[in-house]
Parts: sequence; C-alpha cells; structure tokens
Amino acid sequence: MPDINPLIIFLASIATSNMVLSNFLGMCSYLSVSSEYKTASGLGMAVTLVLVLTSALNWAVYTYLIVPLDLVYLQYVIFIIVIAALVQVLEMAMDRYTPDLHAKLGIFLPLITVNCAILGATLFMVIRSYGFVQSVLYGLGSGLGWWLAISMLAAMREKLAKAKLPPGMSGPAISFIITGIMAMAFIGFSGIFTIQ
Amino acid sequence: MKKGHIYTLVFMLALSTVLTLALALAYEGFKPNIAAHDDLKKERSVLYALGLDEGLTDEQVTDTFAKVVEPVEGQGYVYKQDGQVRGYAVPFTGAGLWGSITGYAGLSGEKDKLTGIVFTKQNETPGLGGRIDETEYREQFRNLPIAPGTLLSYGQHDGYRLDGITGATQTSNAVIRIINQMLSDHVFNEGVQ
Amino acid sequence: MPGNVTNTREIAKTQLWRENQVLRQILGICSSLAVTNSMKNSLVMGLGLSFVTALSSMTLSAMRDIIPHRVRMIVQTMVIAAYVILVDLALQAFLPDISKQLGPYVGLIITNCIIMGRAEAFAQKNPPLPAMWDGFFAGLGYTWVLLFIALIREVLGFGTVFGVNVDFIGFERWTIMIMPPAAFFIIGSMIWAMSARAQRLPTPNKK
Repeated sequence: MPDINPLIIFLASIATSNMVLSNFLGMCSYLSVSSEYKTASGLGMAVTLVLVLTSALNWAVYTYLIVPLDLVYLQYVIFIIVIAALVQVLEMAMDRYTPDLHAKLGIFLPLITVNCAILGATLFMVIRSYGFVQSVLYGLGSGLGWWLAISMLAAMREKLAKAKLPPGMSGPAISFIITGIMAMAFIGFSGIFTIQ
Repeated sequence: MKKGHIYTLVFMLALSTVLTLALALAYEGFKPNIAAHDDLKKERSVLYALGLDEGLTDEQVTDTFAKVVEPVEGQGYVYKQDGQVRGYAVPFTGAGLWGSITGYAGLSGEKDKLTGIVFTKQNETPGLGGRIDETEYREQFRNLPIAPGTLLSYGQHDGYRLDGITGATQTSNAVIRIINQMLSDHVFNEGVQ
Repeated sequence: MPGNVTNTREIAKTQLWRENQVLRQILGICSSLAVTNSMKNSLVMGLGLSFVTALSSMTLSAMRDIIPHRVRMIVQTMVIAAYVILVDLALQAFLPDISKQLGPYVGLIITNCIIMGRAEAFAQKNPPLPAMWDGFFAGLGYTWVLLFIALIREVLGFGTVFGVNVDFIGFERWTIMIMPPAAFFIIGSMIWAMSARAQRLPTPNKK
C-alpha cells in the first residue's frame, strides 16, 4: 500500500488525473449521452454511485478472494462479473425501494456495465495496490471527475446546438475538440497537490 | 429461442467451467516464461544500476549476475570482483503521484557516487511522469556525486546537472525525495554492510 | 450498415474505411487514445484488439444458437474477457516490456465497445467465418486509426517513429503532443474530415 494521503488521491482523481480528460476512460457513453445536460448529469451521478460501490467491492474481492486463491490471472473476468452483478442488484434494489431514483437513474444502469471507467478504476486501484480507504476515495473522486466532465461537455453542447458549425463538425467531432480544450485547461491543475 | 431456467443454468455452468479450465491451462503454460522474464528483468535492473549491463545478451546477464553480484540480507546486492567490493545496489521505494515507485540505485564501492538508478515498478501517468523510465532521464543519475549530509536536487550544481521532466513536476520531485531518503536511511546513516 | 454482407472483401472495405468503427461509429475510443503517444504500444494494442474481436466474434457466432437469450450479454462479456486474458498472458510471457507499459489498458480491451458491438451487430446473425473476418477487419480499422494518431503524436512529441529517431532538423519537441489534449484534437479532426467527406458524396450503398 503506497504511503499516499487518500485525500490527495481523491482530489487528484477529480482534477489532475481526470478519468475522461487524462485517462480517456468512459468515452463511449461520455460522447453518446452528452447532448442534453439533464440526462448527462443523471448518468454522471449513476456512474459515481457505481464507481464507489464497485471500488469497495472489487477491493474486497481482490484482497480476500483473488490473492489468497492465486487467481490473479482470472481477475479481469472476476471483476467484470462483480460489476455486472452489482449493477443488476442495484437496479432491482432501486426499483423496489427508491422508485423515484430508479426512474431517474434506472435507464442508465445497463449502460454502465460496459463503461470502461468502472473497470478502469478497479484495474488502476489494483495495479497501484491501494488500501481500502484509498480505493474508495479513488472511486469517488474518479466518479465525480467523470460527472464533472460530462456535465461540462453537455452544457456546452446544448449551446452549440444553436451554433453554425462547418459541415461534418457537429456531433462527435466538435465534442472531441471541446474535450481537448477542457483537457488542456485541466492540465493547469497539475502541481496543486503536493505529495509530502 | 425459448429455453428454460434449467437450460440457462446448465449453460452458464458449462461455459464457466470450460473457460476457467482453458485459462488455467494457458496460465500454467505461460507461467515458466513469465517467471523467467521477471527474474531476468530484476537481474538486468540490478546490473544496469551498477553500470554493468551494457551490451549484454539475456544469457550473459544471468551469467554476470551469478558471478559478480551477491545478495545482502534485506539490503539489496553487493558487487564484488576478485574479493573486492566494487559497488552496491540498494533497493528504494516510496510514494509517487499515483502509486509506489520502486527500483534500485547503484553505488560505487566508496559510496561517493551513484552509478545509476533503475525503476522496477512505477505507475506514473504514461507519457508524463511515466517518462522517468526513459533512458534520457535515468542516465542523468550515472556517476552523480553523493556525500553524507548533502541532498540531491534539480538544476545546475557543482559537478552535476539534473533536470526534472516537463509537465511532471510531482513525479520528478517524488523521485528525488525517494532517492535522498534512501541515501540518508540506508547508505550514510546505517551503511550498507 | 446492413448486417448481412458476408463477402470478405466487402467486409474488409466496410470495416477498414467506409464504416470504420472509430471514425464513423465513434466506438472503442476508451482504451484507444491513452496508448497513442507511442506507435509501438498502439500497434500491439491494435493487434491485440483485432485478435480478441476476431476470435470472440467467431466463438459467439458458433454458439449463437445455443446461447440463452436472457444471459446473452454476460456470455459475450465472459468470452471476450477470456480472450483478453489470453492476450494479456501472452504479452506478459513474450513482450514483458510492452505489457508493463500498457498496464491496465490491456484489461480494458474487455470494455472496448467495438468487440461487443460486432458481437451484437454481426456475429449474432452470421456464420462463424464471416464473423471472424468482420471482427478482424474491425480491429484492423481501429489499428490504423491508432497508428495514424500515434504517428502524429510521436513524431511531433518525441521526434521518433517506432522509437527510431527521425528528427533530422532538430526541432523543438512539442510537449502538448504527448499529453492527452493532442489526442482529442487529432481524433476530432479525423472524425470531422471523415464525416465532411461522407456528407459530400452521397454513397449509394449507405442507408
């Protein structure tokens, strides 16, 4: 377990090493669900929730199941099954106990299983051998960072819908250019967080 | 395509069994190869830190390593030739920006200079902090003068010049901090036996 | 894109250019961009993905009549994950340095939408052999896009091609090129060029 303050991991995963803007993870849904601010924000919230839960769960699975049983070579399969199962359970639980939330987030849940950001966070956390608290805060930070990025993109795309763009530029092309500019701005954050 | 619960269950069980078996077989098949690479990598890293790896093929690395390098209890390796201590390879580890940075630092027999540093594990941002693993950065540590009580730092100094990596200040600083820590803890205060 | 083209040449043309998964379908960007500051890594990543897509499409197509519909997604994911693990093990065994540099991005091939996309859109309705070619060429289409981006980034950012120095005039390295924003700008421009072109010529075989 690296001797890094979990709070710094949390802040860095939002700003300096944002899931989308510097790790390129979760791009598929980032691009396809960002034409409307409200929907995008809903998806962001769902991703954050799932990220926190899977980070915690996969950390436990890795530490208490995969390592003791020497199954490291099967880890990808195990992680993805844990994620898929968790998303399924979460959907059923939401449907039953919080129908309001389910109405809001339910449609996004199936999309999340194949969101690379979720598996990505798990793999990064394992490869960097984070402890439990570090993992959970990393998951939370990554989720918030993803949420922030997709909300910003969606907000800008709403305005852009009315703009006159060169032919072929509207849609994914302009989204990438905007994302590039956002990524450049986020580079400005690097150096804020000092490691003791 | 109407199929019952039982069928689904049996299908999933069969699929899981087949996949797990296939992967376990593949893993067993690849394991010796992977382990050999890991050993070789460690040996080459230690020799690199000592400045001895130049132009060596993989077999020569294993040979040289067995011939001139001896492990020291909990403290890395000592490099001996004709019974004389010529250098040390001291392991270091510490927090980088994202995770631990681990590696070996080579020291001359007199402990008056670094002969080189090498990273065996780092998870810094690829293309930024990850560039500490590039020769250009690592080679700066070749024959760097060290002395008790003085800390290494970036910039132009008497006798040496060290440059960090553009855009990766955090990682660059972490490396220097880890090396200084290692020097004061394991080289000058307690000494390598 | 009609899902019933089974002629290998047609499949190749479609997947490599006309309906390129990255540039036209905007799929599979996740794991692709992060490795594009080095051509070597991009090539390995691309070939790994082609291998996984080809074999998983073939396997899933061969099993298409016996997979219970309800658990289709999880079966697809498991088969894909199994092939990815194979690739990962092979890389660790034969190309340990590259395996270390790609790190978690090899594992992320599992969630690459191209593989799942081809399994759903093509392998489900077609026999194994065309499915394999379809997956393979979809992967190659992805590979050349990666290599193209990596070429720009590596030449301008490091002055090298596949690690070999090509900087004969000694220009200043362009640091932004090896940082993430450049990847976004380059792929954005490529998609722009492709869709501008598609808009100009109304191809007859497009829906």
